[in-house]
Amino acid sequence: MRRFKRDWSYRDRTRERRAVYYEEPHSSQWSRGPRIREEVVTPPLRDHAALSSPMASSVDFKTYVDQACRAAEEFVNIYYETMDKRRRVLTRLYLDKATLIWNGNVVTGLEALANFFEMLPSSEFQVNMLDCQPVHEQATPSQTTVLVVTSGSVKFDGNKQHYFNQNFLLTAHSTPTNTVWKIASDCFRFQDWASS
Amino acid sequence: MRYVYKDLQVRHIPHTTQCTNRKVRWHNEDLMHITVHVWRNRKPPKRDMEDNNHDKSSRSWFKITVPCGRKYDKDWLLNSIQNHCSVPIKPVDFHYVKMQAQFFVQDYCTASALKNASYKIRGEQNQKIRILVNHSTEPHSVQNKLSPEQMEQLKLTVNKRYDVFQKALDLQSLRFDPNLVNHDIDMILNRRSCMTVTLKIIEENFPELLSLNLCSNKLYQLNGLSDIIHKAPKVKILNLSKNKLKSVWELDKIKGMKLDELWLEGNPLCNNFSDHSTYVSAIRNSFPKLLCLDGQHLPQSLNVEMKTPDIMKPCKESYKGSEHLKNLLMNFLQKYYWTYDFGDRQDLVFAYHDEACFSLAIPFIPEDPVPSSLSKYSKGSRNLKKCKDPVLRIQFLKHTKHDIVDFLSVLPKTRHDLNSFLVDVCLQTEKMLCFSVSGLFSEVEGVHQPHVCTFTQTFIAIPANNSSLCIVNEQLSVNDGGPNKTQNSSTPVPTSLSSSKPTLSEEQENMVQAFAIQSGMKREWSLKCLEDNEWNYTIAGQVFTILKAEGTIPEEAFKQSP
Repeated sequence: MRRFKRDWSYRDRTRERRAVYYEEPHSSQWSRGPRIREEVVTPPLRDHAALSSPMASSVDFKTYVDQACRAAEEFVNIYYETMDKRRRVLTRLYLDKATLIWNGNVVTGLEALANFFEMLPSSEFQVNMLDCQPVHEQATPSQTTVLVVTSGSVKFDGNKQHYFNQNFLLTAHSTPTNTVWKIASDCFRFQDWASS
Repeated sequence: MRYVYKDLQVRHIPHTTQCTNRKVRWHNEDLMHITVHVWRNRKPPKRDMEDNNHDKSSRSWFKITVPCGRKYDKDWLLNSIQNHCSVPIKPVDFHYVKMQAQFFVQDYCTASALKNASYKIRGEQNQKIRILVNHSTEPHSVQNKLSPEQMEQLKLTVNKRYDVFQKALDLQSLRFDPNLVNHDIDMILNRRSCMTVTLKIIEENFPELLSLNLCSNKLYQLNGLSDIIHKAPKVKILNLSKNKLKSVWELDKIKGMKLDELWLEGNPLCNNFSDHSTYVSAIRNSFPKLLCLDGQHLPQSLNVEMKTPDIMKPCKESYKGSEHLKNLLMNFLQKYYWTYDFGDRQDLVFAYHDEACFSLAIPFIPEDPVPSSLSKYSKGSRNLKKCKDPVLRIQFLKHTKHDIVDFLSVLPKTRHDLNSFLVDVCLQTEKMLCFSVSGLFSEVEGVHQPHVCTFTQTFIAIPANNSSLCIVNEQLSVNDGGPNKTQNSSTPVPTSLSSSKPTLSEEQENMVQAFAIQSGMKREWSLKCLEDNEWNYTIAGQVFTILKAEGTIPEEAFKQSP
């Protein structure tokens, strides 16, 4: 009896460690608030099948574009919301060896990224431009990548408001049931000329 | 195991008859901790004799343990527990023992409510928090409670040791203070109860305390002192010298204090370190803003202060690659923008891959959907925030190289300001290079006042056979520089001009001066113009005349006429 009980709790613990979708904010009022997703997930990718006819290639291209758009929109929502409200888990969106170039400062690796984001003051982002493209297969062989470009305005705590431009390269990790997108590179710059 | 309501005077456990005054713990994964006190040849504590006549419920204390309780914030933990219990909980003597959090409650109802709350509270990683409930003796703070007269005496003594002008309290060797000894008050500050009482007196009488001296009090742990952060938050000077602190870990318990000065000499922990600097850095870990340790001033660590403003300060360029890459990029960009500005845009077809993608986007601000300054770009703009129709989204994405150059050809004529360019290399692999260019350009088509726009162009390129780059993806986003911002937009330019000032030969110096007089431009601008045209005076003059006629030279370049 006792052994059974122990196994149960052990299984619970491992399951909870693996569960990424349930993350409660650490607050004194323990309540199930709206769960903000932590990963960018889209339906599974079609195969990179060998394209024979131009018709097939154009159909596939449309699919890639659609998929890229879907991933990009979902990603941008999650990214900026996480950046504003749940900064500590922002590094979960990045690949292990992702690089961030922040106004010319280069930050590589998850640990450095975590430190960087912790030091950055709290932010309030407003995105008013979003564009994306599926990256050509020749540039990233066997790795579906999407280029996402955003711009808008941001206000960091204790600083004046700046316009910013940011671009991301998202890479896809496919599983049979879904596709998880993570950031491979992130380049952020203030648009200093336009701001007063 | 249910609660066994018995007098806990003496418990005989066969295998422990040998030990005296020892607590024996059995650890059993799924059952409660059982704490057994064994007394032998010792009279039972006073309370048992007194309390025999009292009501049973008033004297039973329960010790509540939360395993791994140290992980959680104290207030959050107590609030969560309170939320799950119907009866108000009055925790007494909340403290940490290794990783566990422990406190005491007084009556049976509270204890059973707490037992029911076990496994109901969920922590951060959604794990269930266990609450263990055990019988216990009175907590120390209750046991060693001082009588009112003793309290008065203690207050007087502490008051005597307080220096009002310096706001300093000297509690050195408090135990042996003659006043206290005479009145039979044993203030062993190591004991949690004594420390708590002292802190309470400080909180009530000297909340503005700045300096506290706890020298020679045989302190070997600082558990009780951790409350000082709340009770006397302004303490800046703390003297813990000549105590028995064995490890720097003890200091973690008072980490929240904003100390300027700390004295630790004479503690065993000082001998743990091989040299002085490791000792200093270990202390600094807990108190990064410490100014003075053991009477020695510490050099201010710069990185802590400097980091935050640095983050916000942008770097100019981020070329962290090889020179070869830098040259490759420079050549490519110069060629690209020259063709774009001055040549036939159809020629750009050589820069693109057959299946390249290009898209253009301008910001979408709901209050001002189509800003007049960017009207020429809005028709082809593929801002996904504005354009929701999937068909249109495909349409606006230019797919083949011919489509792309056709589209580029209809965009307005521009003049890019190469000096304003900032290039970031986002990602570099063997197969591709992703870089982004930000800068300014002005529209030169039929506008008497050149209209300045800011742009960011992101390229993804693969190596081409003639050691150049072949664009596979390109995204251009254009934003308004603003008409009244034309002045501002030129300010970055002089700085980059002045920074590149190699020593000039006399001949060149003369040329610059002559050019400046003839054109009416300032010295730096004349210098730039001559440099750009390879110090060919005639050609420089021609270029200047053309540009002046077009009106693209900002006003700032010209000297103010007196």
